[in-house]
Amino acid sequence: MTVAEWLSVGALALGAAFFFTGTVGLLRFPGTFARLHALTKADNLGLGCVALGLALQADSAWVAAKLALVWGVALVAATVSAHLIARYTLRERGGTGRAPP
Amino acid sequence: MIDRAFDLLLIGGMLGLAVQVVASRALFRSVVLFIALGLLMAVVWARLAAPDLALAEAAIGAGLTGALLLAAYRALQPAGEAGDAEPAALPRRWALVAAVLSGALVAAIGWAVLGLEPPAASAGREALARLGESGVKSPITAVLLSFRAVDTLAEVVVLFAAFLGARVVAEPLGRAGPGPRPDPAGGEPVLMPLLLRVTVPMGVLVAGYLLWSGGHQPGGAFQAGAVLAALGVLLRLTGRLQPVAETSPAERLALVGGIVLFSAIGLAGAGMASAVLAYPEGWAYTLILLIETGLTLAIALPLTLLFSGSAGLRWRGR
Repeated sequence: MTVAEWLSVGALALGAAFFFTGTVGLLRFPGTFARLHALTKADNLGLGCVALGLALQADSAWVAAKLALVWGVALVAATVSAHLIARYTLRERGGTGRAPP
Repeated sequence: MIDRAFDLLLIGGMLGLAVQVVASRALFRSVVLFIALGLLMAVVWARLAAPDLALAEAAIGAGLTGALLLAAYRALQPAGEAGDAEPAALPRRWALVAAVLSGALVAAIGWAVLGLEPPAASAGREALARLGESGVKSPITAVLLSFRAVDTLAEVVVLFAAFLGARVVAEPLGRAGPGPRPDPAGGEPVLMPLLLRVTVPMGVLVAGYLLWSGGHQPGGAFQAGAVLAALGVLLRLTGRLQPVAETSPAERLALVGGIVLFSAIGLAGAGMASAVLAYPEGWAYTLILLIETGLTLAIALPLTLLFSGSAGLRWRGR
């Protein structure tokens, strides 16, 4: 195997590890905030590693750019949904006094 | 080997989710699991090399149906109770009757299908062989808008009829739809305007691309309409679109325009081309694109209005 392929395998394995630990955290952690913390690691870093690993195997730079776009869009979605869930939970617990969002 | 393992995992996941959707005691849990089931279903279609169906399943089956079910869940919650009150469940004996009847139906259909002789010449092969006559390069679009155009026309009519039915039985505006309408002027999460500024133009672009790409690759009116409807849901949830009790003339035009256009071009085919719903020689691509544009709106607007639980929507920026 070439260096790029080894790097790709490494990145994919790292991504899978992030997803695994993120899922375990989501299932086992107590409370919404701790679970969000676990989930965002899997979403952001795990997907980033998988996208990087696949980009290293891509046939063209165009495909690699598309993978980067997928990662970017998923980052935006994960950021906003984590923000909304955290904000809602904070208000539920009467934390609205703390600053405008 | 690894493909087989992946397929088995998919099948196991689908069956497990399906059982939990039906057997779960809490309705909310069922709804969320059903959305997950739709996403897995999209992966299954992708594995079966049917990207058109995968796109439609992810957008309509998981996305919009999920939003509709969540809106319906909220409308079912007992009035006046805050937050997490579960709606009253179906009595067990009725659930049992429904389960037995649908089980019998599935068994009967399965029995009939197993008894069928595999046809010597399938319609799919014939459609592929005569793709050149349709005027488009994508076999799916050729079947949907040329070879079996009457089915597609009927599907859009069904969607319109569903919208009319929902309006007939609709509860007063306050109880239908996705809950208290947020006022965009104050108290909005700080990321929301930023998200909308990125998502809305991008979504319109994606819908336009899907519509155009239907002519030569996976895509088309249904996928484009679903993306537009998802944007409508987003704008309705964030209070940019406010529900109103009247349907404006522009909305009426969008609701019936696609059906009228499709029917008119189809009827004109009786005189100008060989048959009803046939296209004149050389005009097929242009007419199909025109019809699909009308259909995109005729699919997006009823879906958004069904979610909104209102007869119309008004823009209210900030």
